[in-house]
Amino acid sequence: MSFPTSRGSSPIADLTYRNYDGPLDPPVNRWVAIARNTIKMNVKKKGFWGWAILSALWYLVLIIVFYFVDTFSTNIPVGQQNPFFAQIIWKDQFLTAFGVSQMMLFAVALVVGGGAIANDNRANALLVYLSKPATKGDYLIGKWLGVFTLITLVTAAPMLAFYLYGALSYRQYGFISDNPTLLLKLIPVILIPGFFHASVVLGVSSLFKQGRIAGAAYAGIYFMSYIFTSAMRIVHIANPPGKGVPHFADNLYYFSIDGIQIGMAKALLNSSGNLFVSVVPGGGRRMGPGAVPIDAPSLAIIAPIYFGICALFLWIAWTKVRAVEVVG
Amino acid sequence: MSVATIQNLTVKYGNFTALNDFSCEVPEGCTGLLGPNGAGKTTLLKTLLGFVKPVGGGGSVLGFDIARDGRAIRQRIGLMPEQDCHIPGMTAVQFVAYAGELAGMPSDQAVRRAHEVLEYSGLGEARYRNVETYSTGMKQRIKFAQALVHGPKLLLLDEPTNGLDPAGREEMLELVRAVSHGKGVNVLVSSHVLPDIERVCDQVIVVMNGRLRASGKITDLKRLEGHPVDVELREPVPAFAEAVQKAGGEVISVKSTSYRIRFPGTPEEVVPKVLLLARGVEAQVRGFAVAERSLEDAFLDVIAPHEAIPQVSIV
Amino acid sequence: MIKLEHVSRWYGDVIGVNDVSCEIGPGLTALLGMNGAGKSTLMRIITGQLKTTTGSVAIDGLEPFANPEVFKKLGYCPEIDNFYEHYSGRQFVEFLARLSGMSKSESKARTQVVLEHVGMADRADKKIAGYSKGMRQRIKLAQATVHDPNIILLDEPLNGLDPVGRREFIDVLGGLADQGKCIVVSSHILFEVEQMTRSILLLHRGRLLANGDLRVIRSLIDKHPHQVRIATPEPRRTAEFLVTLPNVVSLRFDRADKALQLEVREPDAFYDALARAVLEEKLPLESFTSPDNNLESVFKYLVNA
Repeated sequence: MSFPTSRGSSPIADLTYRNYDGPLDPPVNRWVAIARNTIKMNVKKKGFWGWAILSALWYLVLIIVFYFVDTFSTNIPVGQQNPFFAQIIWKDQFLTAFGVSQMMLFAVALVVGGGAIANDNRANALLVYLSKPATKGDYLIGKWLGVFTLITLVTAAPMLAFYLYGALSYRQYGFISDNPTLLLKLIPVILIPGFFHASVVLGVSSLFKQGRIAGAAYAGIYFMSYIFTSAMRIVHIANPPGKGVPHFADNLYYFSIDGIQIGMAKALLNSSGNLFVSVVPGGGRRMGPGAVPIDAPSLAIIAPIYFGICALFLWIAWTKVRAVEVVG
Repeated sequence: MSVATIQNLTVKYGNFTALNDFSCEVPEGCTGLLGPNGAGKTTLLKTLLGFVKPVGGGGSVLGFDIARDGRAIRQRIGLMPEQDCHIPGMTAVQFVAYAGELAGMPSDQAVRRAHEVLEYSGLGEARYRNVETYSTGMKQRIKFAQALVHGPKLLLLDEPTNGLDPAGREEMLELVRAVSHGKGVNVLVSSHVLPDIERVCDQVIVVMNGRLRASGKITDLKRLEGHPVDVELREPVPAFAEAVQKAGGEVISVKSTSYRIRFPGTPEEVVPKVLLLARGVEAQVRGFAVAERSLEDAFLDVIAPHEAIPQVSIV
Repeated sequence: MIKLEHVSRWYGDVIGVNDVSCEIGPGLTALLGMNGAGKSTLMRIITGQLKTTTGSVAIDGLEPFANPEVFKKLGYCPEIDNFYEHYSGRQFVEFLARLSGMSKSESKARTQVVLEHVGMADRADKKIAGYSKGMRQRIKLAQATVHDPNIILLDEPLNGLDPVGRREFIDVLGGLADQGKCIVVSSHILFEVEQMTRSILLLHRGRLLANGDLRVIRSLIDKHPHQVRIATPEPRRTAEFLVTLPNVVSLRFDRADKALQLEVREPDAFYDALARAVLEEKLPLESFTSPDNNLESVFKYLVNA
């Protein structure tokens, strides 16, 4: 048998409306809640995980190749280094992997950011945000941070995992000794795709009313610029430096969504990138299969362009996110 | 104690003066906000939400200054907007909980409270479905729920029965009435549907041409001088009106079977008089009540006391 | 003027209207029903936008589907807002007037007339994109009447109007109905409908539930006997007397114990008995009313049956 907990209280609970008198955070910094929500919503998407895992592809390839070379190399005289590994520049491996993962990171940006503002435009969601203590600024910062965090984590995880693996397994091949500050230099590189994609995809998303169409638009920009720079690449291959086409054409390679990020990475890591090969002492280059390294651009030129594009699209998002009339 | 006070507020959009030296007090309880379109009603709501920088005057809502503390105000107010709005890709529970988080609730409290409020709003199992699949009635309830989730002390409802069929309208009005009476939540309802306001609110504020036109209890506004009565006959009987006049009463208006008349005396005294007159002209009285203006009539009188009703022109 | 015979229309498995037969004559008729009851479908069948799956519909004897002859007689004021936003109101109405076959000078003249009629003559030259909801509704009515049709159908015409605008609109519609035109108004806002007309057409889940005068319909709803609310300073004594009347079916005391709620059969006999009670037995009454003799109650009773 049960008894009422206090004298006079009814055995039947009062389930009519109760007001909420609990704690409320001060009405600032709502972007935290918005960012957290953006991340939570996107982490549920299967597309996000699919592309995120695929972006680690090249690191897997590297690990497998190195494993096989390491295990099955024969005929190495005792005391001498494995010639394959002798010519590996480690930071270039990260650079190549970074380049290969560009398309997958772009796909992640589409999944996570394409509908970020576009779907809200259709659902008139800004009305809900503005009627709470959240401003347009909170909204944009929160969305940006959410997209940025997701893309950066996707970039960072495989890169850092490979670094750890390398630090443990390839010590004898100069993984740490070749470039002791590599880890420090990798950190800004990790931030490049997140920063870029978050800014650009939010700008593109704000122009549309449907996530799919915004995504298609961004994909359109991506592929058009990709076609352009692939053409530039072929021009470069057909005309080795010094012969015929001016050096200028080399730099046009960086004018795509992939290219600008790869360019920033090259500039930060101070390398032209190679595929399994390195600079031959005494000048000249030895080519791997079809790989023709394009010179790293100057940071002084590419950084302003990179930040300029980000700023442009952020400005588009700012003006396009209609300051909706909350009462109309 | 008033919930919001506005003093000598002037708001301009460019050259257009939306509110002109406007002062009013929003009392506790449930208040209706009335006014023709373009009268300044919308601007007043925006002001109460803390969105407006006045050119002159000021005010406070729940103790917060309207020009400076906009965000604090919006944390303590709940707004149910007129237009459709929701956050895409979420179920009702997620949406309402998110709304709570945006208002500043810790996330565990937000989820718990979201369920409570959705239950109260009448959304049972449907709360686990995506908001985009909802009918109009359900969408209105969600808007209502997200306005209530953070326990505001003042609820602003903008056309809460928009698009609802009669059954939905009644349920929504029940919700509003229940939350505003006895639960410590003050409500301000802005609507053009005056019977809704009559049903739910106790007092009204009428805005016109950027100024306060009238405010007060609904019962006061509806009262007619001199206690006329409405007599309802089974069929229209012209002889009845004549009989009333012959007996010393005044016939104020006749509309089909409804006769509005005035006799000296209390209603109890007038009833037998009227019944006798009706019997004399062989009419059957089907209704007798002290006449009240409908809120709509009271409102229209307040808006245009000296304008003649426009004549219908022939096409 | 409008005649429907066993009209049914379905979309795949979903039923729009089911076996609706009725005649709608001159005057103002209200088309009522819950959301999804089939009101819009019915309107679209009458205006010839949809073909019936079975059954026939005739406007003055002609079938409306894809029949320009019929369109001349019909005016339609839809619920949705679809305009050429870059036109001014006047241009829009003139354009539609031309579409119905009027000459240029005729359309100009008629446009001016209808714009004055709906109260938009002074604002008709601004672009529609800047119009408020109320102004749009008036333009819709203008274009529906510009070719002087005999039959006008309006779907939620009072949406978004403030009370002043509503009154004016209702007056305009009343004027048109008085001229003998057949006006069908579909609306949810029952108290407005009640001000306009007593003639209702009620749909529920695609079927015709009631068609006719509100009062007559009310008196025929057996399941809900006539309700009477009696306010009296002596409720208990009054109750004692009323209970003796054979047509009083039930009697309740309201919470404040100031009034009685009765349910009554054969209201005619009851009211006569009540009059006798006041005059001969000196029963003290302050008021008596029938709280459910209105559209909202009738609607509820019919739909929830």
